[in-house]
Amino acid sequence: MGKPNPVADRPPPPQGPLARAAFLVGGAGLLIATLIDSLAVLGRHTGFAFLGSIEIVQSAVVLAASGAIIVATLARSHAAVHILTDRLSPAAAGRLAHIAAALAAIVFLCMAIGSGWLMVEGWGGHERTELLHIPFRWLRLIWTLAAALVAVLFLIQPWRRRGA
Amino acid sequence: QRTPPGEHMLTYATPYPPSHPFSRADITWMKWVEEKSHGRLRIRPYWAGSLLSSDMSMAEIRHGVADIGLITPIYTRGSVHLLRVQSGFYGGVRTIDDQVKIYDCLQARFPEIGREMDGLVTLAVQGGNFPGVLTRGKPIRSLEDFRGLRLRAPTENNEILQALGTDPVNMPMAEVYSALAKGIIDGVVAPADTIKSLHFNEVAKSFSSIRFSRGAYPARAISEKTFRRLPPDLQRILLASRRVWEAALETELLKAEAAGIAFGQEKGIQVAPMPPAQQVRFDALYNKFALDQARRLKSLDIEAVPVFDEAQRLVANPASAARCAAASL
Amino acid sequence: MSGLIGLLGIFCLLGLLTLGVPIGAALGFVGLGGLALMISPEAAIIKLGVISFETVSRYELGVLPLFLLMAHLCFAAGASRDFFDAAARFIGHKRGGLALASIGGCAGFGAISGSSLATVATIGSVALPEMRRAGYKPGFAAGALAAGGTLGSLVPPSGALIVFGIIAEQSIGKLFAASIIPGISQALFYMATIAILCAFRPEFGPPAARATWPERRAAFRRIVDVLCLILFVIGGLMIGWFTPTEAASVGVICATLLWIFRGGFTLAGFGEALGSTLRTSGMIYVVVIGAILFAAFISVTGLADQAARVVTDLHASPTLAILAMAVILLVLGSFLDGLALMLLTTPIFLPIAVSLHMSPVWFGIFIVRTMEIGFVHPPLGLNVYVIQGIAKDISLGTIFRGVAPFLVADFLHLGLLIAFPALSLWLPGMTAG
Ligand code: NA
Ligand code: NA
Repeated sequence: MGKPNPVADRPPPPQGPLARAAFLVGGAGLLIATLIDSLAVLGRHTGFAFLGSIEIVQSAVVLAASGAIIVATLARSHAAVHILTDRLSPAAAGRLAHIAAALAAIVFLCMAIGSGWLMVEGWGGHERTELLHIPFRWLRLIWTLAAALVAVLFLIQPWRRRGA
Repeated sequence: QRTPPGEHMLTYATPYPPSHPFSRADITWMKWVEEKSHGRLRIRPYWAGSLLSSDMSMAEIRHGVADIGLITPIYTRGSVHLLRVQSGFYGGVRTIDDQVKIYDCLQARFPEIGREMDGLVTLAVQGGNFPGVLTRGKPIRSLEDFRGLRLRAPTENNEILQALGTDPVNMPMAEVYSALAKGIIDGVVAPADTIKSLHFNEVAKSFSSIRFSRGAYPARAISEKTFRRLPPDLQRILLASRRVWEAALETELLKAEAAGIAFGQEKGIQVAPMPPAQQVRFDALYNKFALDQARRLKSLDIEAVPVFDEAQRLVANPASAARCAAASL
Repeated sequence: MSGLIGLLGIFCLLGLLTLGVPIGAALGFVGLGGLALMISPEAAIIKLGVISFETVSRYELGVLPLFLLMAHLCFAAGASRDFFDAAARFIGHKRGGLALASIGGCAGFGAISGSSLATVATIGSVALPEMRRAGYKPGFAAGALAAGGTLGSLVPPSGALIVFGIIAEQSIGKLFAASIIPGISQALFYMATIAILCAFRPEFGPPAARATWPERRAAFRRIVDVLCLILFVIGGLMIGWFTPTEAASVGVICATLLWIFRGGFTLAGFGEALGSTLRTSGMIYVVVIGAILFAAFISVTGLADQAARVVTDLHASPTLAILAMAVILLVLGSFLDGLALMLLTTPIFLPIAVSLHMSPVWFGIFIVRTMEIGFVHPPLGLNVYVIQGIAKDISLGTIFRGVAPFLVADFLHLGLLIAFPALSLWLPGMTAG
């Protein structure tokens, strides 16, 4: 079963400086996207064109998504199927959890390597948005760091207690 | 897939389905290559695939995600600024063939253009049909008719449209149909083939064939690593296939444009030619902003103004472009 | 040969999922391994790097967390309770009236929320206690709610349709328009089920006390503001005042204002809504990245082409092919999360559907509607587990038995959508997007 995290089911949010930082980055991304998109709508209906709003929202979405994935990992809310693990002894389930976390860590490590590789290759290439010239390399850096961080979190997760 | 000895299998990836005009040209090219090499060089196509992305395809081919692929430097945000901007230097150009020849001359004359293709070998340079303006209302017959319109346009046309009193809008092409239907926009800057391929005949009334000039750019490439691994005779075949591919692309592009116009007229779209005097005024304005863009590349330490000047010289002398293009091969 | 590798990849994926590997990671792992095997490890890693950054920097995908945030804010402002209350005041005195009211509440909240789980959780936590106070049979009450919650993922805004639109490169506005008639008819099917059940077994849903007209008016006044918000956001999106992403942003601003005007707004509460939104969207982002990489792997194997060829070679009628897909979706849906299921099957099924000349927009409605059934059918209907989380004393078996009549309605409704594609395609054609 996927682990639902609907509105009514609210485990205490994870605490600590990392959780707080991820929350702030992700939340800021969401709020910036909201404000800019709303301003663009307002502008379109009152006659001033807000060219480039899409570019700002796109950058804000990188912050939101990076923060969100870290927050989700800290809160252990990644969807998984528990059809088997729920029926195993705690010890066996624990071993499976180790394997699952290790696989997830490998995937995120590869993600960080791949994004980092592309970032390094394009570092001096002035990758930027067309209108506002928002530099993409910093967005790539943020995402690469986020992916690497999530890999580390998955690696140490089996040894940390829930909610710790 | 195991290939018999002496045979080489290369993958080719494109975001377009096999029925697309680009893909039909790709198929012509594949057949030619297989025939010329007597089956020793075979191409396995991945159509409409998720194998190559649209803006990172150059990097992906360098890393071997596909051996050969469709690339779009004009959608790539970094590392190919000169390739991208030079495609706007062709103001006043008349034909797709001229576009390709002028590109060849520019690349031969300015090594920094070729340097942006590092790690890749160009297999086809591609020009394109000239975008016109599809509108919901009456056609545009003079530059003054642009005033007050809200048009969806590629970002590189923002400045000229604003100078003409237009409100340029940037939205995903997938949303254009419904935006036209609902009147969110008054029109779209797009080539005539979209009348048919994107069903714009259902939501627009007229097509004004004012020519937004555009240039050519390398659009098919193989990674240098893969290229080097091939025996010399197959390398020669691939290099020679370039002209075949380019000719096939031109044929298909023109066919698609004619089909779009014929389809539009059949469906009641009013096709309005632009008076020559107005087109001249438009081209002059277009070039003024292209020169501005060339100057602004200085901020990235890229000298684009000489490229612009040379492109304009070649636009004015197609015969000279033909000569240096022939020499560049 | 390479099609076989694709099949092998699917089996590996199912194995990893059974072992409890997070869905996004399992998809990503098999995708990575498969691409490394078929192309090269370097290509696989670069592809993952490209896909992951493209996904997190995608303007169109930003709509998803924003709609989630809008729903969280409306929930915090008390909208879900008010929806159910209003419906209950009007029809609660009829047989099964509170169950009808919860379907109404689910449809109403579904028009704010993009997800089935959020809808069932919010309406369920309000409606279930009331139904039990009124003496409803627990299984029937829980079944109606579990089924009604699935309206949340079809009625726009729909997270599943947003993601489908991105993978299938279809206009999200068009998909939303296409889902309106199927969503309304689905709610009507559930209501008919309740009416029929209560006609034969009146003890299922005894009538509650009749509310007075002043009470009804008061309850209605309390939802006027939320109704206006829905009308403005979804209506504005249909008319073309704003694009889907903009609609979500405007919705977030309006929902915040709504909460402030209704009272009870606190910064801490706002932060909590933001936190929940981030948790859920982080989970979705990982699944989307994994699924796109997996899809790239499947496309390299040529499995989808081969499957499509088999279907055409068999000269199977499109209806037969659709029924076969529905069966596969339902079987996989018994143990897979809905969104993951859709991400997993779209790259394989959509090319087949298109080769059979089906409309991608219709196919999106079909796949989301089928996937919804997986939310309530045993052994792993997620909605059922959410209900059980709200009312621990009702056994899973009881809830699944209570769901059974609604499953019958689901299959009839699905059949209707397959038989009459116009139900989905008429409205997007009318509004042209
Ligand atoms: Na919804
Ligand atoms: Na399920």
